[in-house]
Amino acid sequence: MNTRRNTRTITRAVGALAALALVATACGGDDDDATPAATDPPAEDTSDDMSDDMSDDMSDDMSDDMAMECETPREASLQLQWFTQAQFAGYYAAVDQGFYENHCLDVTIVEGGLDIVPQTQLANGDVDFALAWVPKALASREAGANIVNIAQIFQRSGTLQVSFADAGITSPADFAGKKIGNWGFGNEYEVFAALGAEGLDPASDVELVGQNFDMVALLEGDIDAAEAMTYNEYAQVLEAINPDTGELYTPDDFNVISYEDVGVGMLQDAIWADADKLANDEDYRSLAVSFVAASMEGWMYCRDNVQECADIVLAAGPTLGASHQLWQTNEVNKLIWPSENGIGYIDPAAWDRTVEIAQGTPNLEGATVLTAPPTEGAYTNEIVEEAWTHIQTGDDTTGSGFTAIEVTLNEGGN
Amino acid sequence: MSVRRLLVTVVPPAMFGVLFVVAWEATVKGFDLKPYFLPAPSAIWDAFVDNPGLIRSAAFVSGSNALVGLVAGTLLGVAASFLLMRFNLLNELVSPLAVALNAIPIVVLVAVFQNMYASTSEIPRRLMVTLIVFFIVLTNVAKGLRQVHATHLELMRSYAASPTMILLKTRIPNALPYLFTALKIAAPTAVITAFVSEYFGGRQNGLGYFIPSNFANSKTAVAWAYVIGACLLGLAFYLVSIALEAITTHRRGSVPGGATA
Repeated sequence: MNTRRNTRTITRAVGALAALALVATACGGDDDDATPAATDPPAEDTSDDMSDDMSDDMSDDMSDDMAMECETPREASLQLQWFTQAQFAGYYAAVDQGFYENHCLDVTIVEGGLDIVPQTQLANGDVDFALAWVPKALASREAGANIVNIAQIFQRSGTLQVSFADAGITSPADFAGKKIGNWGFGNEYEVFAALGAEGLDPASDVELVGQNFDMVALLEGDIDAAEAMTYNEYAQVLEAINPDTGELYTPDDFNVISYEDVGVGMLQDAIWADADKLANDEDYRSLAVSFVAASMEGWMYCRDNVQECADIVLAAGPTLGASHQLWQTNEVNKLIWPSENGIGYIDPAAWDRTVEIAQGTPNLEGATVLTAPPTEGAYTNEIVEEAWTHIQTGDDTTGSGFTAIEVTLNEGGN
Repeated sequence: MSVRRLLVTVVPPAMFGVLFVVAWEATVKGFDLKPYFLPAPSAIWDAFVDNPGLIRSAAFVSGSNALVGLVAGTLLGVAASFLLMRFNLLNELVSPLAVALNAIPIVVLVAVFQNMYASTSEIPRRLMVTLIVFFIVLTNVAKGLRQVHATHLELMRSYAASPTMILLKTRIPNALPYLFTALKIAAPTAVITAFVSEYFGGRQNGLGYFIPSNFANSKTAVAWAYVIGACLLGLAFYLVSIALEAITTHRRGSVPGGATA
């Protein structure tokens, strides 16, 4: 019977296809729909118009020589780690306010996502610069990605572990026997470091639960403590309605453990560049200096103009709304300012602590982030120091007088 | 199967596989590809040999989710196909709905199921596998029950056989090969579905978590080692479904077209 033979052939083929698909899914490519609703691309048109005007005004009194030289702006692209949000406010502000243009740059901001690994995008030559957390980027570097940290924008870690106040989890020692949420994908090292510091075995002393990038699991009581960023997920719980009161939750409803305060904070958002090109390509090097300088101007602008900066991000189409972006801008400012050594400076002590934790903390699989110290040239302060001399919009690069504002969150971040 | 036949069937694909791995290794070494981009097969093998316990326990988690879903989905699918065959109206009502449901992407349904259960529960993953398997079994078995030779039916009617007898003697035997075809498709699909459902949160214990997580951490050799585990698991499910078919059909003595197995 031929039909039967055909069925057999077809099922074999399906089996083979399935096996292929198995590998493909295993590689983690199939996630597009899992990520939060895609946001609109940044509204470049409007910002271009605005920045044209700005740059005309500014170039007159600030950088005549530069404006004269700048006939065709140099193109540069920046890979973000996540979707458009105020975590990247400084870069959006630098586009919007024409800081990049003043440095004769035409910068394209490339949105990130759950599965996008910025530092490998950079190492593959797809973008000119990438934002990445230091431990993750160092892991890629150990795996052969030749990249270098040229500016440490966030000076401290913004990772928290948030639990309901009645759960009584006030320090990592209280994690024992609890369901501890974490994000995985390289965002969990501080959780493991805190466990390790308390002598807890991540495999047996706690139950680790993969957390979606939201706080639903905590609010519904599925987990006892959730990983959260000060500037994002923590705000999300404060934007949720407490069913008992009918009002928004307040900070009093929660216990918050800051990994920075606990002493296991690891360096986060930094600008990474291609190490080969930085060493051998003079054009790329000067591109890097200009890019870092203008980006710093963006962050200085956001420090001094929190509301305007949040509005700029809002215009770029983030997922969450106005009060959330204002909160986020304010919280991110706290991670950057004050920068005692000057914005972007890579503090060797914080660097060494990050590396030490990355080398010494075993995860669920018993592996550490790094197996050896990073090789020579994993970071440089040369670019930052040179960039400081190119800053055109003021000289307060440390923000020693910085004070955060008070932000009132609305339901759902609106 | 004779030794010569075995050689003829096994050697060419084995040779191809070996050549493929050698070419892969040579490409990585020759072009000095970095591990973050593509690890060499030798590095993957080292990672595989270094982590047998982890890979086994992860495969066990994913495998048991796939198995539970596969069994539940098959039972439900078979039961539903009997119902659909018996009540034609039901068939006309349910079939379009089934097709529509089946078109909803896994990712959407996983999210729905995960909202319904605690995030540490394995139930959403198993439900997902059950659902996928259910449709494969349902459509195939329903077809097998219905597409009976007209001559067979006429013969049974001429014997004045009751509907139950027709079901037992004609329809069910006809549907059996369809069931095993469905199982052969459903078994690897169940494994894949189990991986994919692990991807969207829940306990961090299965292959579907460790593979993307290790890729994200630039531990690509380890990630590929888990992929080997995933391939072995999928293959095991597929082989078992084939073996099951071979045993059952042999016992019934109804392998058509001679000894093709």
